Amino acid sequence: MRVAIAEDSVLLREGLERLLSENGLEVVGSSETGEDLLLKVRSFSPDVAIVDIRLPPTHNDEGLRAALEIRSKHPSVGVLVLSQYVEVGLALKLLSESAEGVGYLLKDRISDVKEFVAAVRRVAEGGSALDPTIVSTLLARQRADDPVSQLTPREREVLELMAAGSSNQGIADSLVITLRAVEKYVSSIFGKLGLPSTGSESRRVLAVLLYLRS
Amino acid sequence: MVSRLREKCRIAGLFWSPRGLVPEARRSIVRVTGGKKGVSTTVRAAAPLVTEPVDAQASPSPIVVGAIAVAGCAAAALSFDLSLGSEFGRAPYVHATLVAWITLSYVLCGLIAWRRRPESRFGPLMVLTGFAPTVARLEEASTGPVQAIGDGLSLLPPVMLLHLFLAYPSGRIERRFDRFIVVSGYAVVFGTGLVRLLLEGVGLDGGSNGVVNAQRAAIVVLAFGALGALISRRRSSARRFRTSRELLVACFALALVGLGVGIVMTAVDAPGTYLARWVAFGLVGTAPVLLLFGHLRAGLARSAVGDLFVELRSDPEPSELKDALARALRDPSLALVYWLPEYGTYADLNGQAVALPRPGEGRAVTLIDRNGDHVAALLHDPAVEDEPKLLEAVTAAAGIALENGRLHADLKARLEELRGSRARIVAAAQKERQRLERNLHDGAQQRLVALSLELSLIESKVEGNPGARAQLDWARREIAATLDELREVAKGIYPAVVTGHGLEVALEQLAARAAVPVRLAVHVGGRLPEPIEVAGYYVVSESLANVAKYAEASKATVDVSKLNGLLAVEVTDDGIGGADTESGTGLRGLADRVEALGGRLRVWSPNGGGTRVRAEIPCA
Repeated sequence: MRVAIAEDSVLLREGLERLLSENGLEVVGSSETGEDLLLKVRSFSPDVAIVDIRLPPTHNDEGLRAALEIRSKHPSVGVLVLSQYVEVGLALKLLSESAEGVGYLLKDRISDVKEFVAAVRRVAEGGSALDPTIVSTLLARQRADDPVSQLTPREREVLELMAAGSSNQGIADSLVITLRAVEKYVSSIFGKLGLPSTGSESRRVLAVLLYLRS
Repeated sequence: MVSRLREKCRIAGLFWSPRGLVPEARRSIVRVTGGKKGVSTTVRAAAPLVTEPVDAQASPSPIVVGAIAVAGCAAAALSFDLSLGSEFGRAPYVHATLVAWITLSYVLCGLIAWRRRPESRFGPLMVLTGFAPTVARLEEASTGPVQAIGDGLSLLPPVMLLHLFLAYPSGRIERRFDRFIVVSGYAVVFGTGLVRLLLEGVGLDGGSNGVVNAQRAAIVVLAFGALGALISRRRSSARRFRTSRELLVACFALALVGLGVGIVMTAVDAPGTYLARWVAFGLVGTAPVLLLFGHLRAGLARSAVGDLFVELRSDPEPSELKDALARALRDPSLALVYWLPEYGTYADLNGQAVALPRPGEGRAVTLIDRNGDHVAALLHDPAVEDEPKLLEAVTAAAGIALENGRLHADLKARLEELRGSRARIVAAAQKERQRLERNLHDGAQQRLVALSLELSLIESKVEGNPGARAQLDWARREIAATLDELREVAKGIYPAVVTGHGLEVALEQLAARAAVPVRLAVHVGGRLPEPIEVAGYYVVSESLANVAKYAEASKATVDVSKLNGLLAVEVTDDGIGGADTESGTGLRGLADRVEALGGRLRVWSPNGGGTRVRAEIPCA
């Protein structure tokens, strides 16, 4: 699995490179700027690009713009955006068209190596990885007439993992329950929220996200 | 009416004179026709409004007018009689009537002009022009010397007409070219008349075709020269003269063509000569009405100054002064700018600096001084300069009101300066906060993340040592907690997401984290200048924080929209209302932030009626 990185902090860039290669991922390009990342993505066609959202020169939205451009010009390349802050508005922007092959995580998450590498692999394979903070913020969001409050605690846990991009198998592993049980919870959740239950795992990320946002 | 106006003018500190209005204190008027570098600058120090001797401005007495009118009628009758006996025999009455009509129309219109605007030479000139055809008609007289005079001066009428047309509307010939044409015309008439008399004195035929044709050719050339001069002047004339001047030029051109055709046809003795001549005569006879009309309209400007005085007496708002001046000068494009010596610049009424137009921009500038101080400048249509007297009268009349206007502009400029410094203070504070946030982000936060990552990498190397792993895990969790706190601190210092991704993106998070359900609607269509977005963000975040703390509301709405160059941010809740807008520093601080950007913040918070906070920030 081939990875390209854009991160302007040398310390972090080198740490990331080491982490990824120690976990069997090949770093094919390391960039400091969004432009350089785009060049490396064009040249080396990695499976996934990991992008810091704040990149030189202005440290405003260069990273996000590079991520959006990769998504539109190289749809086969997964994009995992890392940031010191996670914002619901940015998640909506990144996932505006689809949640396939896209991730948005708090930078801290890289220190949980196992989870992080799993997220990188998931995004590279076309899945999604949404920071749990986003999901919990959206779940905690106050609503006037709230079907979310009708969910059981277990269903809530499943919903959080589902919205973060976990597959059914991933959810089963996390909660130490059977796959069948997960499927049952998922259909129960979709029923309570009134969402159509069809679609891939990343499609349901977007559906849940939009549902929680509204 | 006049006496009432006179009374009003006296109150306004002015004297009424039959010539118009004279300000009590003389004011110097500096006229600048160029731009800043003063291409041509004329200084008229203490230019008085009355420049001609008083007796020259008196209206002709009714006796004089009556006598001239009677003389005019007599001249018309004489022309009629003489023309009946002329060689243009085919319809003698038509010809005679036209000649008499020309005489009467010029004499009578001239008298009216003279009575109405006695200071102008135009009226007397018109009266004299009216008598010219009669003098020329004397050539038909039977008595020798009289006939000789008429014969010699037979081309006087066209030359006097040239003179009159070129002198319109002031009565003076002001341009060198015009003067050349008029002097040449008189030289031709009197010079060749003299030559003819001399020739006849020595027994030669003074009225020979050669001399007469040379005379006529010279006059025709001069007439076309005059026509050119009139057309070129028409371009530069003020809008208000344009219509009458255009009619005049058209009339003159037609009459000229008619006369030219007449002369040529007479020379070749073509049929229809009479008709061309009649049309030409008819047009020449119509011109006085147009001349009178235009001449009197120019005179109307005086009453415009009178109106201006009445208007100024009612102590108009500074904002109305410009319109009043524009009306008086009949130049809707007029702009009034005030000189602010402390700032070394001109400014409009809102205190915004204004640069004077440069030469070649098609605008004229008139500077206005008062009591030796430069006060203001009028930016106007160059055509207004055609009436220097009117311009002087109007600027003089505006005196006190201009002073008020300048104070107003000065105040506005100071307010503007204050607002500017306030905006700079807010901007500087914001910049500093932004710098702090970035330092935290690029420094401590990155280092902690890297440190946490390092610990994880170490952790993977101590698989067989559960004690060490537990300690590393604890350290990592501590770092994560520190990062969380740091994130909150950084965000409190500066909302970097606003700068990075815009108001719309940033508000999503605020709405999602609010304590009550929030309906969020943002319609701004793209990014706005950073200080405006940041101010808008703070309005929402502070208002939602207040909702959480005090409002006891069950829901809130956030509406952000851009309309007519204004960003409107409105946060409403359905809580208990009664928000304290003064003691709480939150709302006051918000108002400062919004006002520093030239906007304003309003709060409606009736007891039990919810709270509505609305900020409007200019963002054009």
